[in-house]
Amino acid sequence: MALYNFKKIMVVPTAKDFIDLTLSKTQRKTPTVIHKHYQIHRIRHFYMRKVKFTQQNYHDRLTQILTDFPKLDDIHPFYADLMNVLYDKDHYKLALGQINIAKNLIDNVAKDYVRLMKYGDSLYRCKQLKRAALGRMCTILKRQKQSLEYLEQVRQHLSRLPTIDPNTRTLLLCGYPNVGKSSFINKVTRADVEVQPYAFTTKSLFVGHMDYKYLRWQVVDTPGILDHPLEERNTIEMQAITALAHLRAAVLYVMDASEQCGHTLSQQLELFNNIRPLFANKPLIVVANKCDVKMINELSEENQACDRLLAHRVDTKMKGKKVHDVLNRLHLAMPTKRDNKERPPFIPEGAVIHRKAMEIDAPKRKLERDLEIELGDDYTLDLQKYWDLMNAEEKSDKIPEIWEGHNIADYIDPDIMKRLSQLEKEEELREKAGEYDSDEESEDEEMQEIRKLASQIREKRKLKILESKEKDVHGSRLPRTAKKVDRATLEKEMEDLGLDMTDKNESHYAQQAQRSRSLVRKRKREASAPPTSRTRSQSASRPPRDQSGIRDAKMMKKAKTMMKNSQKGMNRQGKKGESDRHVHDLKPKHLLAGKRKSGSTSRR
Amino acid sequence: MRIEKCYFCSGPVYPGHGMMFVRNDCKIFRFCKSKCHKNFKKKRNPRKTRWTKAFRKAAGKELTVDNSLEFEQRRNIPVKYNRILWNKTVEAMKKVESIKQKRQARFIMNRLKKGKELEKAEAINEVKKNIHLIKAPHAGKMVQKNLTKCCFTQ
Repeated sequence: MALYNFKKIMVVPTAKDFIDLTLSKTQRKTPTVIHKHYQIHRIRHFYMRKVKFTQQNYHDRLTQILTDFPKLDDIHPFYADLMNVLYDKDHYKLALGQINIAKNLIDNVAKDYVRLMKYGDSLYRCKQLKRAALGRMCTILKRQKQSLEYLEQVRQHLSRLPTIDPNTRTLLLCGYPNVGKSSFINKVTRADVEVQPYAFTTKSLFVGHMDYKYLRWQVVDTPGILDHPLEERNTIEMQAITALAHLRAAVLYVMDASEQCGHTLSQQLELFNNIRPLFANKPLIVVANKCDVKMINELSEENQACDRLLAHRVDTKMKGKKVHDVLNRLHLAMPTKRDNKERPPFIPEGAVIHRKAMEIDAPKRKLERDLEIELGDDYTLDLQKYWDLMNAEEKSDKIPEIWEGHNIADYIDPDIMKRLSQLEKEEELREKAGEYDSDEESEDEEMQEIRKLASQIREKRKLKILESKEKDVHGSRLPRTAKKVDRATLEKEMEDLGLDMTDKNESHYAQQAQRSRSLVRKRKREASAPPTSRTRSQSASRPPRDQSGIRDAKMMKKAKTMMKNSQKGMNRQGKKGESDRHVHDLKPKHLLAGKRKSGSTSRR
Repeated sequence: MRIEKCYFCSGPVYPGHGMMFVRNDCKIFRFCKSKCHKNFKKKRNPRKTRWTKAFRKAAGKELTVDNSLEFEQRRNIPVKYNRILWNKTVEAMKKVESIKQKRQARFIMNRLKKGKELEKAEAINEVKKNIHLIKAPHAGKMVQKNLTKCCFTQ
């Protein structure tokens, strides 16, 4: 049976603390940053999360309280009664009920406000809704202040109750106050109950444990009971009554033989008779205490009490209804005989031999270890000898695994020969059909000729392309006709193309060349007829600028050289001319400055 | 001892070479070299990576369905060792291998035949169009020497 441990109940915080706790938790555990410009669904989600979080926390905490506190209907009637006596069953149930209601209300509030928040269209509205929701939840909880305080007190008291197992062996001490019950328990167990000369020193139940016959016994000390009817009893006495009523224990009614407690023997007897109904079904021992004052030995009574209780317990168990239930279920089934055939138990031969060998302690078969010791250095672990093959002499074969990059294991197949023969047949057929004949050189001479020519053409083209690439002309170039064609090269080219170029002095191109050469010679300055009008004559007689002021070819050459020299510098700097004063931005800052951030850094 | 197949390039992974990667769903990937391994880590699809056998087979560049290819197959049921069977298998293997190679070569040759046709046509075309680069149209023909009929101009 589970031990009634009421120490595991969670602390019930006061209402104020509870609220503070939950709100600060919401503040800490949910995201806090939100801005107006976020998307509305994000804002809504943010505030909804806060409301739900707060609701969740309250719910969890309150549920925990509700589950931790024991339900009076579920626990042992002894404890139920005890709690009723101590804390008032109605008040207790009411408090828990209020907590439950609060929990449901908080859930509803949260649900409603979450629903409302779906229609919130701005940050301000959502925030107000959240404030309202949280505020309402906290108000609900503030109203539970009383219940929470009460429950906290109950919890504290409950955790200090002694753990009395109602189902184990118990001895219950009862009697008038101050008769010596606590002294007895102090003596018998390791409990340390306060013993004082005034009555009602013991105000609640105390438990001690002792050992007898290798078993653990509980000894329960009760506060004293006075002799008045049940209704007039106070809380302290009620505890004792409860214990008496519910614990199945051996009752030790302690009497004070010396009347030192302040009550006469007759009074004590009266009390005994009054509570007699409570002793029904329990072994009872009347203990006469303080006999040092009045000489009656009482130690032996204790043993008797224990024995009596044990016997009593066994008796009740046998007589109880539960036993019959168990007995009904137990049934030893024996199979009925089908026929007269003897069926003795079957023991396999190996087992019999093994058993015999064990008995005789015969030498076992030779182990590998033995072999190892025998052979010493020559020993090799050869597991192949244990293989189960069709032919035993193949056991020591070295099995090939790989051939030319292929695993032999992939080819192993019992009907590989059949398949191979099929394949070979197929192959033969294919060969016959001419699949493997190499293509005849269907190329006749013509085709070969064509190929040769084609390759020559391609070569020639490539060379021409290369030549044109080597020419250093970039940009605009002169038309082909502006260039002079050299006779020798022309004739050579045509020779290469297969034409006959011998004796071509009378050809058109040769004659033309002769004629044009004569025209190239410089015109000598000759006296011309006086011009008719001045302007026309000036333009006609004015020499072109690069020839004006120049006497002869030598001077012209020098002039040209000087010109080119002066242009060298500008050309080298890539300037268009004298007037080109443009300053290039060769290292633009926006491309070259700055850190090499993410992205490709293979170049600037 | 087994020669495994590389997951990426389908090449042989000899013992002591390559890498093995075991994924969380217990699928094993073997790689013959770090090139394949790195490509795999880059999540490249071997069926799209041109140099792998998977691509070649998927693009129809190599023989895929053939009887000779059915012989090499990973079998799940082991067969007990039997000397005759093993000997026969080794011989059969060699024969199958030769046939397989022949057939694979034939397949590739057939595929490349079309290229030959195209080549031929191109050569003919080339010669037709550009013969003037190596041979003048009337090369080798006798040309009548025209008497100069040109008039001198000055």
